[in-house]
Amino acid sequence: MKAPEPVKLSTEVNGASFQGEVEPRKTLADFLREDAGCTGVHLGCEHGVCGACSVLLDGAVVRSCILLAVQADGSKITTIEGLAEGEKLHPVQQAFLDHHALQCGFCTPGMILATVDFLQRCPRPTETQIREALSGNLCMCTGYVNIVRAVKEAAKQLKQL
Amino acid sequence: MKPAPFRYYRARSLLEAIDFLSGPAADGKLLAGGQSLIPLLNLRLARTDALIDLNPISDLSYIRKEGAEIAVGALTRQREMEYSALLAKELPLIAEAMPQIGHPAIRNRGTVGGSLAHADPAAELPCVLTALDGRLVVAGPDGERVIRAEDFFVGLYTTALSHQEILKEVRISLARRPVGWSFVEFARRHGDFALSEVSALLYADEGADRCSSVRVIVGGSVERPLRVASVEKLIQDEVSLGLEGKPLVQLLKQAESYTETEMRSSVATSEDSEYLCHLTGVLVRRALESAILRWR
Amino acid sequence: MTQNKYIGKAIRPREDQRFVTGGGLYLADISFPKMLHAAILRSIHPHARIVSIDTTEALKVPGVVAVFTGEQVRARSKPLRSLVPLPVEAPYYCLAWEKVRYVGEPVVAVAAESRYIAEDALEKIRVEYEPLPAVIDPEAAMNSDAPLLFDSLGTNVLWHDWFTYGDVDGVFRQASRVFSDRVVIHRYASTPLETFGCVAAYDEARQYLTLWTNDQRPGQAMPILSHSLGLANAQIRLITADIGGGFGNKRKPPYLVLAALLSRASGQPVQFIEDRRENLMALVHACNGVMDLEVAVGADGRLLGLKVRDIADEGANLLNPTVHSLLKLGNITNCYDIRAVRFEGYSVMTNKCPSGANRGIGKPFMCFALERMVDNMARRLGRDRIELRRQNLIPPESIPYTTPTGSLIDSGNFPETLNKLLSLIEYQSFQQEQRNARSQGRWLGLGLALAVEPSTSNQSSYILTTRKRNASGAAEAAMVRVESDGSIQVVLADVGSGQGHQTAASQIVADELGVDLEAVHVSPFFDSLVSPWLYTTGNYSNKFAGTDVGAIQGAARKVREKLLSLAAHLLNTAREELELMDGVVRSKKDSNIRKTLQELAHVAYRDLLSLPPEMEPGLEGRYYYRPSLANLPDEQRRVRNQLFVSNAGHAAVVEVDVETGKVSILKYAIVHDCGTVLNPVIVEGLVHGATAHGIGAALYEEFVYDPEGNLLTTTFVDYLKPTAVEIPDFKTDHLESPSPFTPLGMKGVGEGGAIPAPAALANAVENALEPLGVRLGDLPLTPERVWKAVRAARKKTD
Repeated sequence: MKAPEPVKLSTEVNGASFQGEVEPRKTLADFLREDAGCTGVHLGCEHGVCGACSVLLDGAVVRSCILLAVQADGSKITTIEGLAEGEKLHPVQQAFLDHHALQCGFCTPGMILATVDFLQRCPRPTETQIREALSGNLCMCTGYVNIVRAVKEAAKQLKQL
Repeated sequence: MKPAPFRYYRARSLLEAIDFLSGPAADGKLLAGGQSLIPLLNLRLARTDALIDLNPISDLSYIRKEGAEIAVGALTRQREMEYSALLAKELPLIAEAMPQIGHPAIRNRGTVGGSLAHADPAAELPCVLTALDGRLVVAGPDGERVIRAEDFFVGLYTTALSHQEILKEVRISLARRPVGWSFVEFARRHGDFALSEVSALLYADEGADRCSSVRVIVGGSVERPLRVASVEKLIQDEVSLGLEGKPLVQLLKQAESYTETEMRSSVATSEDSEYLCHLTGVLVRRALESAILRWR
Repeated sequence: MTQNKYIGKAIRPREDQRFVTGGGLYLADISFPKMLHAAILRSIHPHARIVSIDTTEALKVPGVVAVFTGEQVRARSKPLRSLVPLPVEAPYYCLAWEKVRYVGEPVVAVAAESRYIAEDALEKIRVEYEPLPAVIDPEAAMNSDAPLLFDSLGTNVLWHDWFTYGDVDGVFRQASRVFSDRVVIHRYASTPLETFGCVAAYDEARQYLTLWTNDQRPGQAMPILSHSLGLANAQIRLITADIGGGFGNKRKPPYLVLAALLSRASGQPVQFIEDRRENLMALVHACNGVMDLEVAVGADGRLLGLKVRDIADEGANLLNPTVHSLLKLGNITNCYDIRAVRFEGYSVMTNKCPSGANRGIGKPFMCFALERMVDNMARRLGRDRIELRRQNLIPPESIPYTTPTGSLIDSGNFPETLNKLLSLIEYQSFQQEQRNARSQGRWLGLGLALAVEPSTSNQSSYILTTRKRNASGAAEAAMVRVESDGSIQVVLADVGSGQGHQTAASQIVADELGVDLEAVHVSPFFDSLVSPWLYTTGNYSNKFAGTDVGAIQGAARKVREKLLSLAAHLLNTAREELELMDGVVRSKKDSNIRKTLQELAHVAYRDLLSLPPEMEPGLEGRYYYRPSLANLPDEQRRVRNQLFVSNAGHAAVVEVDVETGKVSILKYAIVHDCGTVLNPVIVEGLVHGATAHGIGAALYEEFVYDPEGNLLTTTFVDYLKPTAVEIPDFKTDHLESPSPFTPLGMKGVGEGGAIPAPAALANAVENALEPLGVRLGDLPLTPERVWKAVRAARKKTD
């Protein structure tokens, strides 16, 4: 079988630009992990259900396992590695830390990035809104209780900024 | 779980995409939001030699009012529709359905065109668009044509699109505005595809006591959005603004039972379908109840 | 103990810091130059003979380096050793040989430059099968004419035995009533979000295998690897890094063997990571089964005796059959004072995914059966379900209490757990709430369940089922080392998989050594080359409290003793006059007489001639802790098969939509007693998470096989995990009944949610539908099943 031609890709990952070629079938998640070194992008299901691979694409949360790397052409991507400003954690990261909103940590990057997107759109969420907004991200460890608490706290902190 | 190889074509315009389809990517598939297609490719349950990526086409993402119509570009993300003030004002049925599509990350990528062209009967948009009697503008090598939603959804994952055609736009008339509307859905978990879903619309002339027409469309466990004609007629004939209390309850019960009967004749009956037929009846009743309440 | 500054404190788990920044190091993040990626072709048949396999075309795919069939691995490895002795030989390998026995069983493996290419190559492999009749239902599998998974066994029944404790026949004769019920439990799994994986790097020049894995039981994996691969333990190095959840599921020695063989053949490191479909099809399912119960009840409502006939569906499990049965035996009487018990157990093979460890192992089923039964009996006796429970609870004054099967309830106060639960769920006011709701046509119900939560497995319990002595007892190991600069290093054998072991260990060590928490560094890695370990090493059976704490404490104390002795020598003071506080050894009389840890370490590692002549240099303590409660089965076949018993009470208020069958949880209360709470933040989290697993099993999750043996739920689209919308907020409360038998009074904490939740929810749904007389059947309680149960009840009353 003849491998299809690689495709040009120009994208920005956590502020660093990437110019190169990728195989068309390579998923964005694999590209981010293997080519951009962002191993905080976790593969939990690879069919777009669990949300562990969530990243921000031009500011909006997406599942990188069901996007192709080539589709990120001309876009800016933020992964969990690019969320903090230097040493200072993003308020959502800080809230997850403060509320022990995780156990094994595998869902955490996706959960945090989904929260970042959500709180941008819905700065004063109700608990129901929080739960619905995170329903695309599975956590097998926490029963979501501390995650919901952390999101509430993050909303408060972000409002004060 | 990785996709098999394919060639990739980046379409910068609708015309270029059509050219790809009739040329080098004749066996290809169109990639819009990809929220259904890419999982299937990853699972190798679907495969293709070529993908034509429509996302770079910049002029197919819009929601606008054109005269007495709403026009939505096929590449408009579901999230845009969800947050559209225009849709919320002009087409509240759509606004009610949007948050029930998948999850935020899905709606950030999923497009209106992709969802309609994929024609999953358990998806929300085919049901809603059929209820609103929407029209789909499709473009092909020979130009454009317009297909009514009711004619567009042919069967399970099957539409009236020919292989060379691409869905370009959705148009919904605002000439008649429903006085009552409702979209209800039942899924195992929040965000799942519907086991059953119902769009209900009531139309009445200004000041009139009765409905001039009624639309009741069922989705979910059917092959394509299903008009429940017997219920539409029943409600149109029997419902009036003043109807309330027991007679209303009885009428709605009747609608439920009509639905079950229609469902039984349109889905393959089995032990499983029994529940789905019943469930759909319940949802139709609830949707109508809520639509009637809104009318008041 | 020199201080008690950290134990019991709500300390934020320190590992969280790296996880919120994407700094976790999971298996998929382990990568080496020239590393290959493996993919596995799996059986599409539930049962078939392999006629031929043609891999010619696959080998031609550019980038493919090695392809193995069952025949090839058989030539290169010995059969996989079971963890439990089997009645007869049933050899199996890391790839199917001659036959496939379930859909998803590994048949051919490919190692290639990328997983993409490896999957391409799988499509080029041609396997010819001769399908055989399959057996899916465990009861059918017991029939003499059933298709056999292993012809050499002559049966699908791997194990059948019965155990009688007390005068069972007598109490059943004297009983005023005997109730019987049949309970069915389905297949589900906790499905950690990170799937199973490993990276094997075989070094031919040194004949040395390094294996990175997220296997949660490295202690058991090692002897299997060693035996299969023909390598000495000393030629294998096993390492685990951050593990993205385990819940019992993450152990699969066959994959480790396979990756090692591929690495040996290719001369390159090989990574294998299950994808989610492989994980759902072929890693492990919680054992499904059928249980027949009979309970003898006295005229006053006392539960006198219990008979259980249990059929455990092992699927194609040969790794550790009978584990579910044994653990059911261990909590068979739950928290009730029942003195006569008979257990008849079957372990049966079927053409399904191997059954195995899943949060609670067998205990959720046993608790489900009994707690459902108690509700049913209360109804039929016209007794209040709370009072019937209260009457039969083991009285606090009888604790420590030995159950008929030999389990020791070491601590706890069950009536108090129940009381707290009732007040937490506002049981009294619910009665009115329920009446009001019913008058408005809303169906509200309250259900509760109590559970014992035994933890820390005693390996000798397998003697009951195998009648062979293999492993026995329980133990774990740890190392504490004051480094040459005075910093403190802790190396664990059980590094956990999300339970905050790094933090918990640092709390214990900081208190033992009288230092600040920040001074203690706990390695997140298990490394067989560095960590002290033994066969029982690993993250399972909630054993942290039962064995790990003792190991950590023991290691720290060894170091502490040495620090004190060394300081006594250097300060020319009596050892008894010294204390270790705030990072210094000082005289109790004059705090100016002191030596810092740095000063002591300097002597221990560098200024060696300042050491007492008889003292070994270095400041390292290794400790293997073995709880004294572990015993061997006695002549009456009684054994403490798990050693320390926590308990929990769950209560749920649900609303049932009788038209759609949907069950909504309105309120959920949990009272948990795991003895001394080392860190409330961690304990609370584990209780929440375990409860979510129980809710998932009760309402959403199910592996569905069709009658032919095809698995219908192979993605997360079909296998439904509950999300933040489905899981309610939890109200929790704690009781602290310290175990007199563990070093800090701690007991297991990770299963107390998963064990009672299914019973509490089913009881709640039945309570809601009580006026309709609804009786529920199979789990999960899907809307369709609930609706059908309502319909069936209504038909009956019509």
